[in-house]
Amino acid sequence: MAGEFKVAELISSILFVGRGITITLQLLTCGILIGLVFGIIFSVLRYKGFGVIIINRLISILRGTPLILQLSFVYFSTPGLLGFKLSIVTAGILTFGLNSSAYVAEILRAGIESLAKGQFEAAKTLQIPNFYMWKDIILPQVIRNIFPAMVSEVIALLKETALISTIGGMDIMRTAQTLAAEQFTYFTPLCIAGAYYYGFVLCIEYVGKKIERGYGYAKA
Amino acid sequence: MLRLSNVCKKFHDSLVLDDININIEKNSIVGLAGSSGSGKTTLLRCIQKLEVIDSGAIECNGELGFMFQDFQLFPHMTVLQNLIYAPRILDKKKDHSAHAMRILTNLGVANKASEYPDKLSGGQKQRVALARSLMMHPELLLCDEPTSGLDIATTLDVVSLLESVRSMGVTMIIASHDLDFLTKIADRIIILKNGKIIIDIAPKTLEDPIQYLKKYY
Repeated sequence: MAGEFKVAELISSILFVGRGITITLQLLTCGILIGLVFGIIFSVLRYKGFGVIIINRLISILRGTPLILQLSFVYFSTPGLLGFKLSIVTAGILTFGLNSSAYVAEILRAGIESLAKGQFEAAKTLQIPNFYMWKDIILPQVIRNIFPAMVSEVIALLKETALISTIGGMDIMRTAQTLAAEQFTYFTPLCIAGAYYYGFVLCIEYVGKKIERGYGYAKA
Repeated sequence: MLRLSNVCKKFHDSLVLDDININIEKNSIVGLAGSSGSGKTTLLRCIQKLEVIDSGAIECNGELGFMFQDFQLFPHMTVLQNLIYAPRILDKKKDHSAHAMRILTNLGVANKASEYPDKLSGGQKQRVALARSLMMHPELLLCDEPTSGLDIATTLDVVSLLESVRSMGVTMIIASHDLDFLTKIADRIIILKNGKIIIDIAPKTLEDPIQYLKKYY
């Protein structure tokens, strides 16, 4: 009887911590989307020579200060600065998205720079218009080159979303902490939370490998 | 076909092309020789407008084609896609595959049409690069070191390949440091040294062109 009780309790604990999945995944997907959009905008602007100094400084600050500081700053200082309060999730999405955009922009820059200048020139000698050159010649190769780094960035962001718990967001980490406070033990709740995070990481790695294999031609 | 008058090109402060004057007739093959750093590649790149000249004029009537020393095939496209990609953008309605296959057959690499470039040998990449530039119907083909990295037998193949390209009515400028190769194919050899033309001569008028030209290196 005692064994059955423990299994039931474990299942209810797993389900309880699982309530945080929605927020965690919401932060991850929206954060990555914002990161990609701004990351691409930053790197295109930089490549074209617009606002290089400002963008470089912004990227440097985003990469050079603790994420937990950025998150607290966005959440706690916006009411004073802008006169309205952001919801916890909005503050999280904005912070994680912007922070990630700095890393995405750097990954993209490295990807474009690693591509031989000759590929641009070959496209030019074949009279391929700029738009098509970027769409069909440059970006497919850049994306292939940076794909592993982008997968790492997604994984890093997933783990960083746990910081939302520090401002009260009910993500996997926070539900685990709540459960720990109720049960007076950290062991099981934290193991469950860890298993959720690690499970998601394994899924991201699996999908990443699948896609990477789709780009399976070797480098010329 | 092509006329260069007083062409000068500087990189930073060093003069890479120093007052170049060349006039090239239609359907001829001109060899551009000289040691590394003599300005051969820069001259080709200026003609192709990959570099901007500092002074002088380049007049060219006819489509240009360019073959890079390191081929610069698109690694994420098959051989056939490499050939038809650019023509298809310029003329969407026409089917370019048949024409591409004809060229690949002529160059002896039709069986590689669906391979990716990394599966090809150096000689095969060379042919594919040549085929890709021929797809654009160039009237003047600029070849940068077409024999670098190829063994002697493959170099002889390149001679006959370029001969067959000439028979299609294509004028060519070939930059190479290999005098042996150039004397086999070129009607005219121009040697550059420190960005200046030091000799411009038809090798067929010489008894022992290689010995003669070596003195100018």
